[in-house]
Amino acid sequence: MECKYLNDLDAGLNFKTLKLEASRCLLCLDAPCSKECPAGTDPAKFIRSVRFDNLKGAAETIRENNPLGGICARVCPTEKYCQKGCLRCGIDKPIDIGSIQRYVCDFEQKTNMKILKKGVDNNKRIAIVGSGPSGLSLASLLLQHGYSVDLYEKNDKLGGYLRYGIPSYRLSNEVLDNEINKIIDLGLKYHTNTEIGKDITLNELKTYFDAVVVAIGYSKGKVLDMFKDNPYVESAVDFLKRIKENDGHVLVDDNVLVIGGGDVSMDICTSLKILGSTNVSAVVYEELFEFKASKKELEDARKHNVTIIDGYVPTACKDNHVTFKHRRLPYQLEMTADKIVLAVGQTYDLGNIDLEMERGQVKTKYNYQVGDSNVFVIGDISINKEKTVVGSVKSAKEALYYINKYLGGF
Amino acid sequence: MVNKDLSIEFLGVKFENPFCLSSSPVGNCYEMCKKAYEVGFGGVVFKTIGPKSYYIDEVSPRFDKLDKEDTPFIGFKNMEQIAEHPLEENLADLRKLKDEFPNKVLIASIMGNDEKTWEELARLVTEAGADMIEMNLSCPQMTSHAMGSDVGTNPELCKKYCQAVKRGSKLPMMAKMTPNITDMCEVAIACLDGGADGIAAINTVKSICNVDINKYVGMPIIDGKSSISGYSGKAIKPIALRFIQQMRDNPKLKNVEISGIGGIETWVDAVEFILLGASTLQMTTSLMQYGYRIVEDLKNGLMHYMEDKGVDSLKDLVGLANKNIIPAENLNRDYIVYPQIDLDTCIGCGRCYISCFDGAHQAMEFNKETRKPFCNEEKCVGCHLCALVCPVDAISKGKIKVKPNRKVDIKNLSL
Ligand SMILES: Cc1cc2nc3c(=O)[nH]c(=O)nc-3n(C[C@H](O)[C@H](O)[C@H](O)COP(=O)(O)OP(=O)(O)OC[C@H]3O[C@@H](n4cnc5c(N)ncnc54)[C@H](O)[C@@H]3O)c2cc1C
Ligand SMILES: Cc1cc2nc3c(=O)[nH]c(=O)nc-3n(C[C@H](O)[C@H](O)[C@H](O)COP(=O)(O)O)c2cc1C
Ligand code: SF4
Ligand code: SF4
Repeated sequence: MECKYLNDLDAGLNFKTLKLEASRCLLCLDAPCSKECPAGTDPAKFIRSVRFDNLKGAAETIRENNPLGGICARVCPTEKYCQKGCLRCGIDKPIDIGSIQRYVCDFEQKTNMKILKKGVDNNKRIAIVGSGPSGLSLASLLLQHGYSVDLYEKNDKLGGYLRYGIPSYRLSNEVLDNEINKIIDLGLKYHTNTEIGKDITLNELKTYFDAVVVAIGYSKGKVLDMFKDNPYVESAVDFLKRIKENDGHVLVDDNVLVIGGGDVSMDICTSLKILGSTNVSAVVYEELFEFKASKKELEDARKHNVTIIDGYVPTACKDNHVTFKHRRLPYQLEMTADKIVLAVGQTYDLGNIDLEMERGQVKTKYNYQVGDSNVFVIGDISINKEKTVVGSVKSAKEALYYINKYLGGF
Repeated sequence: MVNKDLSIEFLGVKFENPFCLSSSPVGNCYEMCKKAYEVGFGGVVFKTIGPKSYYIDEVSPRFDKLDKEDTPFIGFKNMEQIAEHPLEENLADLRKLKDEFPNKVLIASIMGNDEKTWEELARLVTEAGADMIEMNLSCPQMTSHAMGSDVGTNPELCKKYCQAVKRGSKLPMMAKMTPNITDMCEVAIACLDGGADGIAAINTVKSICNVDINKYVGMPIIDGKSSISGYSGKAIKPIALRFIQQMRDNPKLKNVEISGIGGIETWVDAVEFILLGASTLQMTTSLMQYGYRIVEDLKNGLMHYMEDKGVDSLKDLVGLANKNIIPAENLNRDYIVYPQIDLDTCIGCGRCYISCFDGAHQAMEFNKETRKPFCNEEKCVGCHLCALVCPVDAISKGKIKVKPNRKVDIKNLSL
């Protein structure tokens, strides 16, 4: 059982299927795929390298652009990004760019390539708070540019939601560790079990470092009022964290009601099924045509026989009994379950960090900077709109430019 | 990104990398060559320039391609002759290119129709600023028998024309060979005797690519008719490699410098040509199909290869495989190596069985219940046809059997 949780749900490509998939690529002029990645990945170039037997070159193209290329390959909702405009759709269906990228990054790992290099020391020191994808990718970029980087993380392991959110069958700790080790190899100094605001204050960091970057994400699951202090209720992110930390050794209930329909909801639904729940029903606010979850995640949940009921909002909850009504139609739904899981979004948890918030984001200028201070903010909690892993990488790349500028680089 | 010096010297001229456009429409004019240089080619062999008196009149359409299953462009057929543009225009383009790209190598390909025109063309392209001359002795579809591969199969004529070119120019010069001949060495030696400094090989192979089975005519169709003409692309790589090996193996040509041509698409193809003795590489068909951009992966892949092999200078790779290609009668025939089937990888398709039965020695057995193949070593001759057809590469080299009354030290065999 736990074994299934730890195994890749999607087996990925082998060398033959890789070549087949790459040879489906039309090698387009002005390839649309290369314009759709928030992090600026150039799929057309690395697919061409695969096509012309240059796997090492393909790995360079991916890694030099994105320090978390091997992770994005696995978790990106590619249908919303690179695969969206693929011109192969004029013939049949888009190139499976994610799977090609995944093969290439695995090859990079297997052949022990060392693509990224530490930059020449520029005598500038930067602190990053939070080790999710935004903090990690910025750390890599800064190190490549010669900065000295100290990364602070309140949990005992690095990775943020990559470590404690996304289930192992989609992103294993092994893959994550490999990607993190590439950053540590560049000279990253990291401090786990260190909470900023508690163990060290933000002001201390501000005085000691040339710049401080806050990348603390949306670490708390949202709870609607009607579900507060109910022992049957747990937030999806807490539950997923529990499952991942225990490598899937978690007892699950027979009948579980999940409320919400984004990626997090699909993750908890599929995880529950994999771990042995008999009935998992997701009741979702959106109707199917406007679903938020990525195609792949929805497919995974469907394959695992998750019941999906779309278009309903909860109106009342008493113990383990929830009443819903349809958003448009005069329908009502009553559900009783052994457990209720809330997957209705995440929100920030500043702890004792003193920062001004505005519409769920830390208030900064367009350049991710808090006023004129030496504090920058990136990732989910920042003004960056793409609340995804690749969106985090994008915010890190943009912030790198502004931090460089602020510290007199370029 | 990996960064290695890919420079190499060829006929005394330094190329920043070995990749060149071969003489053909891919290097037809100034704009094309400029773009190719900018994308990263080390050199350009400009489209063959002919004598002013020879009027080029082309057919339409002029190409065809050979497909197999879902792979297009296995081979490519063309009916094109030499440069269509007027001589003056070509010379002006050469001049402009050399002016703008002094560090890139510019090679002029020329073709005369008698000693006088060869000598004259050599002089003109030298004046225009070319770094090197390539003599096109090999186009198989010229409309004059005094030109092209009809000349390239005649050693005496080749020698005479080489001498003429050398009278017209002191530039380093290579003679471009036709593969439409049994023994290329004889012609190559005649060219060197006539003053050629190196050899370019190969030009296109005479062919009929496809026949329209409803109109009873070869392709492409030109007013109901077609002609035999030159075949190029991936399909001719084996033919090119064979001729290059034979030249490098000939005592009189042993260290001849060669520019390799024929079906180059990937860095692996390039390395194969280099290992058999080519020190520069020229390409046409792959560029017509995919564009100049493929040179990026050729260069990068070659750099990674050098890095992996611990080689810092490209010239150290030239000809490394020549000594390992020997006459068939000298091969070790004392052993059989049996196929070894990895049953975990095998998906039970039965292709190995079909090919062994219908195309080899009926040694492969197939259990229809378990859907697993089994090699009967009593019958197996170790030809490895099964391994070549297996769609999942489940078959590799396994147990070795020494033939009766032969002595082999199995441990020292290099399989
Ligand atoms: C279950 C789940 C599945 C998801 N699946 C996908 C997916 O498939 N594809 C995709 O693109 N995106 C997915 N996402 C979204 C994605 O994970 C986030 O957008 C991304 O992780 C945001 O990165 P971040 O660096 O901003 O923050 P986080 O990943 O949240 O990391 C923040 C880090 O900061 C630490 N921290 C917080 N406060 C402090 C403090 N005071 N001191 C020190 N450290 C602190 C936290 O412990 C955490 O490690 C998923 C999210 C979840 C929850
Ligand atoms: C359309 C076409 C035109 C060509 N024209 C010339 C030419 O003018 N002069 C010449 O020396 N070779 C010419 N060639 C031959 C190429 O330079 C080259 O030797 C041959 O195509 C093999 O290389 P490839 O497989 O990379 O195409 C031509 C080839 C093609 C396909
Ligand atoms: S858009 Fe699709 S077909 Fe075109 S280059 Fe990108 S992956 Fe290939
Ligand atoms: S061809 Fe390969 S996969 Fe097919 S039966 Fe034989 S060994 Fe198995």
